Amino acid sequence: MIMGMIRGDEYRERLQRVKPEIYYLGEKIESVATHPAFLPHVNAVALTYDMAWAPEFEELLTTKSHLTGEKINIFTHIHHSTADLVQKVKALRALGQQTGSCFARCVGHDALNAIYSVTYDMDQKNGTEYHQRFLNFLKEVQAKDLFISGAMTDPKGDRSLSPSEQADPDQYLHVVEKRRDGIVVRGAKAHITGAVNALGHLVMPTTSMKEADADFAVCFYVPVDAPGLIHIFGRQTNDERKCGCLIDQGNVEYGIVGGEALVVFDDVFVPWEHVFMCGEYDFVFELVERFATAHRQNYGGCKVGLSDALIGATYALAEVQGTAKASHIRDKLVEMVHLAETLYCCSLACSCQGYALPAGNFMADPLLANVTKLNVTRHIYEIARLAQDIAGGILATLPSEIDWQDSRVGKYVDKYLKGVASVPAETRMRLLRLIEGMTCGTALVESMHGAGSPQAQKIMIMRRANWEHKKRLAQKLAKIRERPK
Amino acid sequence: MLSSKIQVSVKYCGSCNPLIDLAKLGNALKEALSQDNDLTLVPPESARIDIMLILCGCPRACGNKEEIRARAARSIVVAGETVDLVPTPEKDISAAIMKKLKSG
Repeated sequence: MIMGMIRGDEYRERLQRVKPEIYYLGEKIESVATHPAFLPHVNAVALTYDMAWAPEFEELLTTKSHLTGEKINIFTHIHHSTADLVQKVKALRALGQQTGSCFARCVGHDALNAIYSVTYDMDQKNGTEYHQRFLNFLKEVQAKDLFISGAMTDPKGDRSLSPSEQADPDQYLHVVEKRRDGIVVRGAKAHITGAVNALGHLVMPTTSMKEADADFAVCFYVPVDAPGLIHIFGRQTNDERKCGCLIDQGNVEYGIVGGEALVVFDDVFVPWEHVFMCGEYDFVFELVERFATAHRQNYGGCKVGLSDALIGATYALAEVQGTAKASHIRDKLVEMVHLAETLYCCSLACSCQGYALPAGNFMADPLLANVTKLNVTRHIYEIARLAQDIAGGILATLPSEIDWQDSRVGKYVDKYLKGVASVPAETRMRLLRLIEGMTCGTALVESMHGAGSPQAQKIMIMRRANWEHKKRLAQKLAKIRERPK
Repeated sequence: MLSSKIQVSVKYCGSCNPLIDLAKLGNALKEALSQDNDLTLVPPESARIDIMLILCGCPRACGNKEEIRARAARSIVVAGETVDLVPTPEKDISAAIMKKLKSG
């Protein structure tokens, strides 16, 4: 046993010990660790623990704590160099290749890094004690190798209004009471990845704020089973296939996305020791940008890992269908690789161009991180389109595994789904289902809106692009202010 | 005879995509140093450098290298709109550096 590193089994045991309030399809869920709707997400997170112990992945998935010097899982680490940032991207790719789906731990990890730096900045300016408080919490997270979600997105209500202008103030999570021993918060966080199988939530505000919004400028940690905390799990495309199917699930063990939920805070109490911002509205933008940068940096890592698996499935399917040597198929496969590796280049680039913050930790280059994520909103769709193109219409018309096993029609399904003679029809079915799961429905939307929608990236690019410098370059080249001879 | 003035040298990052006008900043510092009684500007190759000013156009701070810092006992790093990691608007950077130089 190494302090700061647990294994997947211990994570599963921890899940059995907590009793969060979770609802799905009208049912109150008793055990996330064993329910088939949640098991794929639990399996993916468990792998982030187990892979850290595997010699072949250890170099990427473990590091040394800057607080204790102990060996820790990378997902509790605070980055202190560009090499750390690069390591994260490589670790995410390696994990994505093994799970073929979101594995959820990066969000809380990115929240840790963002809050680490912003608490320091707040203390420097205001003389508060948030950073030491956060360090105490961080030590606990590292020692326990805790899986925490990062909860940022509010429901937002009327998007044209600020938090304090909403008809229903609960559309943005806010403080409703300050007590001697802590605060009481109300509101909700939407689309929270890993919310139902995390051990707690790191909650952050979602948009830049003004003085009137001070009650909404709140950042804290809360355990997943805190009284008043309610989780409503989201439906996913073909989620009923998790119950009673094997082949038709496609990705049999890990599902298709991270497992997102609407998390309701119905007057939840948070002790001061877990409050990391309370009213500092002028630091909200900094927190949002640093979290978003860290999270957008990731997508050319994890999604490229997924793409590796998808490209592999598409290539294998082309072989099974006898089309792998056709020049147009090879060209499309090459295009898929080109697009995926372009995304990887983006994530590596924003990591290499990362820099130190006043707290001493490093963040990726914000402009390049946003470019990375904006490219993900496009390239992943194109990779999926090419996979579907190569797969053929059978992707949408494939009979179920139940009919393949049926005593009356199974022989026909097996006969007419066969491709090249040497490969069984079952192989083709499994590859098609994997491609279906990875390219149809919920999986793609995650690439579009996860870590923020495309317009959020464009706003950041607009803010970060050095417009005046570019203008000066043009003026110099065209000799704008010089009189013609 | 060795100069009794504090010898300051300037090293630039290379200016690939600067967020601040490094040439303008460099000229402003040159001007300020030329009028100062305690400080003097020397080339980066000088045998004696007391303080190295590392001027970088963006937070990446590519000029902030160990071998550059090692040329002087003390260094000050400008990285975009920060001076030694403290956020500083571009218009105030020159004054902030002079204040640090004078503070010893």
